[in-house]
Amino acid sequence: MILAVLLIAVQVAAQDPRLDRLDPDTRAQVTAVVDSARLAGLPAEPLIQRALEGATKGAPGPRIVTAVRRLSVDLGTARAALGDGASVPELEAGVAALRAGATPQVLANLHSVRRPPLTMALSVLADLVASGVPADSAAVAVLALAPKARDADLVEFRRAVERDIALGAPPAAATSIRVNAGADVLNAAGPPPPGPALPRRP
Amino acid sequence: MRTLALIALACGAPADVHRLVAQVAANIEAGISDVRYDGFLASGAASVSPTIRWEHPGGRGLLSARGTYLRFESGRHSLDGSANGSWFRPLARQWRGELGVSAGSSQYANIASFSHSEAGARLHLMDDERGGWVGATVGRSIFSGAPRRVIVVAAGVWLLRRDRTMFVSFDRSFVGETVYTDVRSSGRWQRAGIMLEGIVGARIWSRGGGRGVFGEGSATVPLGSDAALVLSAGRYPTDAVSGSIAGRYVTAAVRVGTIRVRKPDTHGQPSDSPVRRRSDSAPVAPETRLAIQVRRDDVLLTVHAPGATAVEISGDFTDWQPVPLSRNTADDESWARTFRISSGIHRINVRRDGGAWLVPGGTRRSADDYDGEVGIFVVP
Repeated sequence: MILAVLLIAVQVAAQDPRLDRLDPDTRAQVTAVVDSARLAGLPAEPLIQRALEGATKGAPGPRIVTAVRRLSVDLGTARAALGDGASVPELEAGVAALRAGATPQVLANLHSVRRPPLTMALSVLADLVASGVPADSAAVAVLALAPKARDADLVEFRRAVERDIALGAPPAAATSIRVNAGADVLNAAGPPPPGPALPRRP
Repeated sequence: MRTLALIALACGAPADVHRLVAQVAANIEAGISDVRYDGFLASGAASVSPTIRWEHPGGRGLLSARGTYLRFESGRHSLDGSANGSWFRPLARQWRGELGVSAGSSQYANIASFSHSEAGARLHLMDDERGGWVGATVGRSIFSGAPRRVIVVAAGVWLLRRDRTMFVSFDRSFVGETVYTDVRSSGRWQRAGIMLEGIVGARIWSRGGGRGVFGEGSATVPLGSDAALVLSAGRYPTDAVSGSIAGRYVTAAVRVGTIRVRKPDTHGQPSDSPVRRRSDSAPVAPETRLAIQVRRDDVLLTVHAPGATAVEISGDFTDWQPVPLSRNTADDESWARTFRISSGIHRINVRRDGGAWLVPGGTRRSADDYDGEVGIFVVP
């Protein structure tokens, strides 16, 4: 009983002041989810940010709580796949990949074939799916390139695929072609040009 | 408007068309355009397009060929050519059959190349002033050496009047793994020698082909017996068969030669850019693009927002509080600010002039859990 009271006291004391933007009921529920995540060893900051995002966008309280809970579950899934040593950015990128359609097994395979950090590889995977590449094809492509490619290579690969898609190539075919031409892509890819990546003229 | 010409021919449109038009018609068109392909900056371009066309004296068929040379501000150019032919055969009563073939090839700056070849058949049912058709086309499209199967099934109805023509069509295209449906309605109106043409349509039920509405319009104003001024503008969707990517354009051109009515074409093939397709109808600010410059101690975020009087951003690096950006002193169309942003994946929305929160170009669009969308970017 005393321990429980102490725990509650600690939780209240640890409540993030940024969550004051939420109404009291929503704040209490979000805080409970955040505290549960902390106890499970999951990062709190992404959860707080998701709640703040909802507040800024005028989402109703229950919707914010649902979003935070869902993110907490996804962070747990990502950590299970990527291992306890996964960093916060890796977990967030893992969630993005999962939500794009990658399976936890794909994340685990990526973890086994590539040295950390995996943030960029996971982000490229999510980008490819967002570009219309079927999740399976995107996963196969990233896993094929992951062991040797640098982060910059992966970014260049993603740009090449997106360019091909924009020119009308079917997303899966564009990905396959670029993976098969991986040697050219990787060898030709120099460091990214300095300065902001503003769109070019045709 | 090849379809409109085909309607006339399918009807057997004997008298009016063939008395006025020579059996062989040729012209060349030179113009200037302002084009904005999806994912690219707007660019000026100069174009030259020769066209030649032969029609069977009895209205049984046609052959046509067309080429376009397009040179952009950057000095890059695109070159494309295509040819097609159709042959009509009377069937029972009001029915006619049509067999057609087409082929084309295009190249952009030695970077991207396309080619395609197709053959198709249509069955027309026609009255004097109205009709319809169903048809199918098969072929293949080759992009950078990789062939894809092309299948298109289509149906349409049309209405023909003395000075105007209208049609509505529905086609479903299968190009490799890309699948989409286009619904279009087009009209042509002629009065006092001036020809107005317009088309509106929508791409729906798409997988990999983009979605959205499009529309194009043109006016052809005779400048004499052998010349005309052609003004056109519009937005067109990506054509997965020929390789033209979606974009907008405004064109002014002079046509010299046998003056006929047809659709001006400024579809080129840009490449070599961090392109992101604009394929959805969700809120997007295509004129608002984010650039990220990682510096030693901070990150410079620059939002390219032509025409904006105020730009704000909100993201997980601002605790989702709106933060105004400062207009770039060197570039009136850009707004910038530095932030302390940690390495990793981040979420952002952009607002122009106090309007809705939008996803800026240059980021990955993603559902935001709140019935909206958010842009995602990575800081290395």
